[in-house]
Amino acid sequence: MRLRAYGAYIKITLKLTLRDRVVLFFNYLMPLLFFIAFGEGLGAATSSGAMSQTVSMVLMFGVLGTGFFGGGIRATMDREAGILRRFKVAPISPAPLLVASLVTGWAVFLPSVFLFLSLARWRYGWDQPLNLASLLIVTSVGVLAFRSMGLIIASVVNSMQESQIIAQLLYMPMLLLSGAAVPLHIFPEWLQKLAQFLPATHLYLGTQGILVRGETAWDNRAAVGSMLLAMAAGLVISIKLFRWEKDEKVKPAAKLWLAGIMLPFVLIGAWEVHRGGNERKMRILERQTRRSQSWLIRDARIFEGGGEWIERGAVLIRNGKIERVYRGAAPEPKEVRAEGIEAGGRTLLPALIDSGVVLMRPGAKEPPQDLESVLSGYVYWGVGAIQALPDPLGVAEQYRKKVDEGEVIGPEILPGAWVPPFSLAAAEAEAGELAILKQDLARQFFSDGYLRALAATGERRPRSPQAYAAAAARLRELWRRGELPAPSGAAGGWLGLHGPALLRELELWQKEGVPAAEILRAATALAAARAGAGARLGRVKEGYEATLLIVEGDPLEDVRSLGRIHTVLVRGERVSRGELANQNKSSGK
Amino acid sequence: MAIPAAIHASGLRKLYGDFEAVRGIDFEVAEGEIFGLLGPNGAGKTTTVEILEGLRQRSAGEVSVLGCDPEKETDAVKDRIGVALQSTNLPDKIRVREAAELFAAFYTRSVDVDALLRRLQLWEKRNAYYSTLSGGQKQRLALALALVNDPELVFLDEPTTGLDPQVRLEIHTLIGKLREQRKTVLLTTHYIEEAERLCDRVAIIDEGRIVAMGAPRELQDRVLGHARVEVKTAAPMPEELPEAWREGVATSFSDGRKMLYASAEKPARVVVELVKWLEAAGVEIEDLHIRRPTLEDVFLELTGKSLRE
Repeated sequence: MRLRAYGAYIKITLKLTLRDRVVLFFNYLMPLLFFIAFGEGLGAATSSGAMSQTVSMVLMFGVLGTGFFGGGIRATMDREAGILRRFKVAPISPAPLLVASLVTGWAVFLPSVFLFLSLARWRYGWDQPLNLASLLIVTSVGVLAFRSMGLIIASVVNSMQESQIIAQLLYMPMLLLSGAAVPLHIFPEWLQKLAQFLPATHLYLGTQGILVRGETAWDNRAAVGSMLLAMAAGLVISIKLFRWEKDEKVKPAAKLWLAGIMLPFVLIGAWEVHRGGNERKMRILERQTRRSQSWLIRDARIFEGGGEWIERGAVLIRNGKIERVYRGAAPEPKEVRAEGIEAGGRTLLPALIDSGVVLMRPGAKEPPQDLESVLSGYVYWGVGAIQALPDPLGVAEQYRKKVDEGEVIGPEILPGAWVPPFSLAAAEAEAGELAILKQDLARQFFSDGYLRALAATGERRPRSPQAYAAAAARLRELWRRGELPAPSGAAGGWLGLHGPALLRELELWQKEGVPAAEILRAATALAAARAGAGARLGRVKEGYEATLLIVEGDPLEDVRSLGRIHTVLVRGERVSRGELANQNKSSGK
Repeated sequence: MAIPAAIHASGLRKLYGDFEAVRGIDFEVAEGEIFGLLGPNGAGKTTTVEILEGLRQRSAGEVSVLGCDPEKETDAVKDRIGVALQSTNLPDKIRVREAAELFAAFYTRSVDVDALLRRLQLWEKRNAYYSTLSGGQKQRLALALALVNDPELVFLDEPTTGLDPQVRLEIHTLIGKLREQRKTVLLTTHYIEEAERLCDRVAIIDEGRIVAMGAPRELQDRVLGHARVEVKTAAPMPEELPEAWREGVATSFSDGRKMLYASAEKPARVVVELVKWLEAAGVEIEDLHIRRPTLEDVFLELTGKSLRE
């Protein structure tokens, strides 16, 4: 008998819901309009990351709307209209009604997941691998959790008006602060922290993790667990507080139950803030989104890396990889669903590789505090990969992971051998020649104060006038024997100028008579091959990493053009160079 | 052994805070009986009924419905009774038949839904949305839902309030059919005619107390053993009243002695004397009625106020 009541009630609630145009509007039509607006207008079509974000966003609209308005306000309306009163005289408990509300919310929501995924795939060419089962689990648990929060709202309010107010009070911040409608990283840090106490943030990060990073439901078990807990608590509380008639008023203190259901999220939020896990995840998701932007670089003179030149060509980048290299004319960016970068009169080449970087000074007990800005300095200067010397603390390895995942922006960190780097730039600094400090190169990224302090240190430092001449002679010797090493700026030796030192190194090689073409090859394809990454790095070739550099002018004539950087792409992400320089300078360097 | 009463209530009280809505009510409803609770709005009828239906808790007293305590064996009672509430609603977009089928699923026992809809003249409307039904159709559906579990006892709370007279008659006919099926019915109403017409017995309830109880006719007789003769004449009536009226007949005049009200236990005899008296005086009769007291009069007599207030 009991089960029959559940079945009958679920069946009728589903029917009624499907007959309700308002429900259909809020569940399908409104999210669909947003979806199309983002898909057509805001560039989601040219970036699978932005498309993933759009899918997550419209799913969040659906979950929050179904929860707060479908669940909460609907139940209050039925009570106000005297509908629930009619059921009160039947021998049933509130449970079938509440369970039916959960099930209906879920059943109405679920098709929208498929709708938006299919649209993304077939209409906008979204091609991310998808763990559908995990996505369904996380969003289903989400819709049930939010629906039961809605039912609690209905349980603790005394009128439609009150339920509208409370639903709005929860809906708006959850939509705005969860990252669904507005990217979280633009908020001040305290607000980002606060956001982690909102259930919607967990759901959004879970959905995004699955869509963007290929995570599973199990990877998001903390979020899934807290939502399940909230659902169970919501169901129990709303059965306990259930009122069939509008005349039965509830005491104001009962509204505290609403706070009660938030408890799992307060706990998980506190834990996440403490651990920093979500902040990390937010940064990674943001980076993944940037990396997934599709680009079409057109009309460039292309240095392929191995020595081949294309006088006029184009490169299509998708999901961080070079998808296609065009010789001559290229299609319109729109035709290939990419954003265009016009590179007429400019040179496109693989980003540079610095083959000898010491991230940890020998004997240091702790990694340097400014390691993140060191790494950002490399990408600022168009260095897409560095070969780091091994360190006993495994710092290089640790940061390799962070950069790969996207938590930190930086060049790809390749393992290096225990060989002291050979570097003219370092030898020059040793000899007391500090021209690099006066070059525009360094000034762009480092503050004047910092450079002056380095110059002052140079004045006091003992000089080894012979150091440079010896190194230069060695380079000429190697060149003559055809054994050109992979170049390394070695951060300018004691100067520690990570980034510009490599450019200085190449400039010095040119000065010592190495032809520009050889230098470019040595700093790209050759360096990649020596670091064991020749099959995916250091060339402008289909299937290779989209870690590229666009410079003004022709570095074949003068390698100093490498310092006139137009665009740096690292794994498909267009680096915001100005932002990185500002960050570095404001940190006092 | 006597047949147990379908409803038994004694010393029933209900307090809402300081306000005592029901102040000690005793009554019994026998099986197969149609029993009316008659009283103005706010008299405590609905509270009493909802306690019996298991929807509210009583503050004091003994109650048994179909041999069960509705407060303790709530679901058992709900499963065996049928209820048409005074003011309820159904979702706008539920179809008539869906509503009946939904409610049928809530009970251990249920009748054939299609037959029920036919019996209540709802078959034509079986696929109509609730929101498109007329007031009478909605009330018929409410009755259908109250009968869907083939209840032993039916509660009808103000079943015709707000309906027009024609529709009210229809509903009365349907309730009359329940009598044929030997259902026990507890009906609340503030319509006198309804109680007079439908009920075997009536309890008149006011300010939380039963002020009188019995068959409608019996109540009328007991409370006001008199019928009233009303006569209207063209000219004023004579000063001198008939000799026989000195005892047992109460009179009052109005409209310049052109209107007379005379109440007595034997109204027919009063009429004979009245006609003789007026003929002797040469006064022409324009109009003449014998009026039995209505429950309205009974109520007025007992409580000093009108039901319709």
